Amino acid sequence: MTTNRNTSFRGCYFLNLPIILLSLLIVGTPATGADNQLITVGIYENAPKVFISESGKPAGIFIDIIEYIAKREGWHLQYVPGTWGEGLDRLEKKEIDLMPDVAYTADRETLFAFHKAPVLSSWFQVYARKGSGIKSILDLGGKRIAVLERSVQQQAFVRLADSFGLNTTLISLPNYQTVFERVARGEVDAAITNRFYGVMHAKKFGLEDTAVVFSPSDLFFAASKKDPKQLLTAIDHHLLDLKKDTQSIYYESLKRWTSEEVRFKFPVWLKALGLVMCAALLISLLGSVVLKYKVNARTRELLKINRVLSTLSECNQALVRSTDEAGLLDAICRIVVDIGGYHLAWVGFSETGTDETIHPVAQAGFEEGNLATVNTNWSHTDPGRSLTSNAFRTRQPCSARHILTDPDLELLRDEALRRGYSSALVLPLLAEGETIGVLGIYSVEPDAFDTEEVAQLTELSGNLAFGIVGHRTRDALKQAEVQRQEVQQRFADIVEFLPDATFVIDQDKKVIVWNHACEAMTGVKKDTLFGQGNYAYAEAFFGERRPILVDLLDMAVPEVEATYKYVKRQGDKIYGESFFPRFKDGQGAHLWGVASPLYDRDGQRCGAIETVRDVSEQKILEKTLRDSEQKYRELVMLANSIILRWSCDGHITFLNEFGQKFFGYTDTEILGRHVLGTIVPENEKSGRNLRPLIEEILSDPQKFERSINENMRSNGERVWIDWTNKVVLDAQGQMKEILSIGSDITDRKLADEQIRRLNDELRRHAQVLEQRVAERTAELVVAKDRAESADRIKSAFLATMSHELRTPLNSIIGFTGILLQGLAGPLNEEQQKQMSMVQGSSRHLLALINDVLDISKIEAGQLALSLTSFALRPSIEKMVKIVTPLAEKKRIALVLDIADDVATVTSDQLRLEQILLNLLNNAIKFTEKGYVRIFCRSDNNNYVLSVSDTGIGIQPEKISGLFQPFHQIDTGLSRKHEGTGLGLSICKKLLDMMGGTIGVESHWGQGSTFTVRFPK
Amino acid sequence: MNNTLLIIEDNEQNFYMMRFLLEKNDFKVIGAGNGRQGIEKALHHKPRAILLDIQLPEMDGYAVAEELKKHGELGNIPIIAVTSYAMVGDRERILAAGATGYIEKPIDPETFVAEIIQYLSKDPGDQGRQQ
Repeated sequence: MTTNRNTSFRGCYFLNLPIILLSLLIVGTPATGADNQLITVGIYENAPKVFISESGKPAGIFIDIIEYIAKREGWHLQYVPGTWGEGLDRLEKKEIDLMPDVAYTADRETLFAFHKAPVLSSWFQVYARKGSGIKSILDLGGKRIAVLERSVQQQAFVRLADSFGLNTTLISLPNYQTVFERVARGEVDAAITNRFYGVMHAKKFGLEDTAVVFSPSDLFFAASKKDPKQLLTAIDHHLLDLKKDTQSIYYESLKRWTSEEVRFKFPVWLKALGLVMCAALLISLLGSVVLKYKVNARTRELLKINRVLSTLSECNQALVRSTDEAGLLDAICRIVVDIGGYHLAWVGFSETGTDETIHPVAQAGFEEGNLATVNTNWSHTDPGRSLTSNAFRTRQPCSARHILTDPDLELLRDEALRRGYSSALVLPLLAEGETIGVLGIYSVEPDAFDTEEVAQLTELSGNLAFGIVGHRTRDALKQAEVQRQEVQQRFADIVEFLPDATFVIDQDKKVIVWNHACEAMTGVKKDTLFGQGNYAYAEAFFGERRPILVDLLDMAVPEVEATYKYVKRQGDKIYGESFFPRFKDGQGAHLWGVASPLYDRDGQRCGAIETVRDVSEQKILEKTLRDSEQKYRELVMLANSIILRWSCDGHITFLNEFGQKFFGYTDTEILGRHVLGTIVPENEKSGRNLRPLIEEILSDPQKFERSINENMRSNGERVWIDWTNKVVLDAQGQMKEILSIGSDITDRKLADEQIRRLNDELRRHAQVLEQRVAERTAELVVAKDRAESADRIKSAFLATMSHELRTPLNSIIGFTGILLQGLAGPLNEEQQKQMSMVQGSSRHLLALINDVLDISKIEAGQLALSLTSFALRPSIEKMVKIVTPLAEKKRIALVLDIADDVATVTSDQLRLEQILLNLLNNAIKFTEKGYVRIFCRSDNNNYVLSVSDTGIGIQPEKISGLFQPFHQIDTGLSRKHEGTGLGLSICKKLLDMMGGTIGVESHWGQGSTFTVRFPK
Repeated sequence: MNNTLLIIEDNEQNFYMMRFLLEKNDFKVIGAGNGRQGIEKALHHKPRAILLDIQLPEMDGYAVAEELKKHGELGNIPIIAVTSYAMVGDRERILAAGATGYIEKPIDPETFVAEIIQYLSKDPGDQGRQQ
């Protein structure tokens, strides 16, 4: 067998020589133009689409097409052989440019680039050993099935099996050949390959196809991501042209690699391709072989069978090539008519759920527009009335052999005559045991459908049904895929929208979602993380690759947990919090995270999600709150006040440490007890009942913002507390508790009482005192009255005395003057002398009376100063003028020295002049020779006036008594020096009244200076 | 020319001395020993001036001065108080009562008449008498 195959492939080599030479030529030709570029293409074993021929050259449909395109585009192709998986890896890593025969999936589009128009469409089919009994999908339950690793059929089959609830074991293998070998050896029960490969190779391995055909998929060339060399546009462009031209390399290649012509062109392949064809036509090889023998026996039948086989072959190709259901149906009808040589063909579908009608959907051979009348109600049960309904209901082919002659078929005759057919065959289209429609075939010849032909056409209808189901499945899958993408997109949008940093990893710990908040928080872009494993996400948070919270879902790692402030598991979720110093430009951030495993539909783990939230601000807030509460708590606990909370019914709910110590209770002893009988006694010592007070406070606490009452310690000792009460409201504004803050005022209370006692005593003393004061005052009033009366008497006495003394003096002085003037007649010398003596004595007496009167007035306070403003200088000059005659008489010089700054003075002019005159008289009186000097100047707010003489002076011991009344120095000389001895005393008293002073400086025998100072 | 002066004085020696001095200076002097008599004489004689002592029996000088002022026809006759009252307020009090001048006793016989003449010349009553 091996030898045969080698031989046949060698034959293939020679016969392919022109093409290979051509490709070698292309490969070998150096780049000649600017467009010339090296394109690397991955190849692997997947005949007939792509494979390496016996000669080691690449071959297959995809290779033919790409070589054709390369030639026109001036590409220099270089093939890189490998397995399918290796090819995909290389393409992903951009080690190669193109990979042929890649089915489009959404996942793959993220890794590769695809052109638009598919090269081929393919189904996948399950193959099993002959006689294995595996016919339908349901037979695959519990079976081991080999599949190409990383292929789309693997995923598609899993979905298919899931939808049937089958439990199968998939074994991934690197290439199709191995897949078939394993089945052939019985190591696995079935294989999944594409139908291209299956049709070509199944027989070779002693395998047969099963009814399980699924997931048509479009096959493309895939370029590396983003198609850097811009290959796909060119491929699309050429494909479009190739597909339009039925003579093009595209159709030529398809025919060469998939049709029986291959066999005829390469007879050495006959056996192998016979096998392939049989599988491809889904007719047993045996049937075909039998037919071949029959052809030899019966030429007409052979031709007919050949025609049927051609029809089947063409139909199979149409199945392979078709991209949509309508196109497939049209193609099949056309092939049945064109190649099968039948008169008419149509396909109808029932529309379940609406009516029991079969609607035609495709046809061939009918005149345009005629088909619409074919609508058939499949509820008809009379076989003669409707083949269609019979076929539909019975799920069996129904034929009418002689419509024109068979009287049973009379009802069909008009139609047959009108359309020009004699026999008809209607085949049900069965899918998974249900009739989905019918295929009607009509022949001009009577009895055109013998058993053999019906069997073949039944096979065809089966294939067609597979094709339809395949298309529908693919459409459904496409739809599902679109929905899945939409759901995925929606999910992605939702995750992106989440304000918390959120990422998702798959089972391989590769990041598959990394939302915007995650990027914003970590500064790591999703592009750099996608698809990366080995804890790449941890680096974004911790700066190193290591397990993090999400990884703790699957394992407990104490050293990892230790890096969190806490790690808490709840259900299947895990919570944790940690400080990340690197975050926020080194400010650091408290991050709180929660991770949860993700499960697929079967409840199998498929990844995990973690959400991370920056709770720094919350932390700060919490800390502030905690600090504040701590501070407040300390304040309450340690305050030097009693802090009490008690409920609306009077029970104590809180008493601070100070309060507990104060009252002598512990926490447990006091909490929950009623205030009455514990800290509040029933009665105060004074007898005041406190129960009503407490009840009043409880009924209207607002009124008792302040209350002072007696309280009780645990040992019974009474204390006085000044309470401040405040209502504590709950969230609904209802009174919840009363907060009372109390100060111990026992000492104050005692002190108050002491004070009150003392006050009473004081009041008593005061009363006594007041009485005494009153008595004394009365006495004083009497004394005062007496004194005042005495004073009045004295004043009156003085006034009277003054008057009474003056009246006789008036006569004495008056008459003496008259006599001395000679008015009463001339006096002799002696009379004149004596009368002068009388006159002197009487004048002295008058002076004495005046001075006594002055002293009396001053001492009695009767003398009032009469203040006026006047010029001082003329006043002084006036007094000097008065004493000038006296000084001249004694030949004493008067020296007047008044400074320029002497101006006005506010004083009692008469009294001031009296003082000056007195001093001048004294100075002249006590000076025998020399001079008297008057000096006056301003001194700040005062005037200073001094009178100096060169007289006898004053003995030092006498100076102290100088200003006393009735004092005259040297009394022995009193007769020599006239004077009352009251002058200086009067001067001093007057100056005292004026706010001035008088002083003296004297040297015995040399003279004296009297200085007065008085305010301006 | 009316040069009659009325002296109301209860002290005979003082009256005699003043009359002597004034008559020596060509004044005609009439005297009254008490206030009542003085007022009667003033009304009767209409003197050029009245020399009034304050310390008088029965009716003192203040009352006399006030009484004299009540008589319109006497309104312009100067009243010169001649008194030994020398206590504080005495001078002011006598001037307030209606006196024109004030001469303190004991008098100076050398200046007494001159002082009297001075008061006469100042006498606001001159006009009234000339009518």
